[in-house]
Amino acid sequence: MVDERTPGDPDDLPPDPVALAALIDAQRARTAADTEFAAWLVFGAWGLAWMVGLAGMWAAYTHRIALPFWASGAIFAALLVIAAVVTTVHTVRRTAGIVGPSAKQSAMYGWAWVGVFVGDGALMGALGRLDASPDVSLTVGSIVPALLVGGLYMAGGAAWHSREQFVVGAWICVSTVAAAFVGPPNLLLVMSLAGGGGMLVAAVVARIRRSGRRPSRPHDPGRLS
Amino acid sequence: MSADLDPVIHSQARLRIMTTLAAMPEGDRLTFPRLQKLLDATAGNLSTHLRKLEDAGYVDVAKGHAGRVPTTTVSVTRAGRRAFEDYLAALQALLTPPTTVSEEER
Repeated sequence: MVDERTPGDPDDLPPDPVALAALIDAQRARTAADTEFAAWLVFGAWGLAWMVGLAGMWAAYTHRIALPFWASGAIFAALLVIAAVVTTVHTVRRTAGIVGPSAKQSAMYGWAWVGVFVGDGALMGALGRLDASPDVSLTVGSIVPALLVGGLYMAGGAAWHSREQFVVGAWICVSTVAAAFVGPPNLLLVMSLAGGGGMLVAAVVARIRRSGRRPSRPHDPGRLS
Repeated sequence: MSADLDPVIHSQARLRIMTTLAAMPEGDRLTFPRLQKLLDATAGNLSTHLRKLEDAGYVDVAKGHAGRVPTTTVSVTRAGRRAFEDYLAALQALLTPPTTVSEEER
């Protein structure tokens, strides 16, 4: 029974099949925890930024709080920067030391985000030069980036066969369309609650699903293959 | 009882290496330091076991350069993936109640 050991190996064979299965499970969980994309973290960071930031802008715009509108915009921008940093750091850590097609795929997808948001910044600059009214700037400045986020999430869902990412993207697009019909200033509230809230719900669902995948049943042979 | 378990994989260290490499999407490679970290292994120990897996044709160890820094990357080969799946199937058979597998278990 023990003569399966390759000569010269340290005496490291797990004692029985159940222990072997548990060893495989534990290593799979470790690898997944270290290399898989933590959707809950990313949805959570962006959802929080949208919910708090956009609600703040709405409250400032409608004079419900004593905060200049530009300051509420700066707070939202800061929250978005934090979410972007969280996403970037997480992605870099997850993909470090992995080379090959999936790394290239992630890099291309990352550049798509950079590209569209540089473009969005340029659009806002152009609107400023055209002396667009505050309502026009607010509408374009909210709807366009939200549609870009929704579209990129849907594309990401398609690229990684991730239904949850696709659904979140589709939900953001739908909320944004609704916000466009509502118009300023309440479109901010719609995007805060529906868009930001939707991402937070997705974050909670992803977190629950993730903990459900942890090997709580090491004896279950059905999990092996 | 463990006659069907591939002796090349049937060691704690090599089973964990194969589990980790097989979890990567097809075509992806892990750098040696990242693999080492995922396994909490020492470099020497990991090299020893990788060599055994490489000799069996189960993993591909490639040495290259990233700029001036020498890099080693590891991936599971097609044969390695198949051997790992066979190992899992054999283990599965050992775990399944004997009444249903008595034929294959022999």
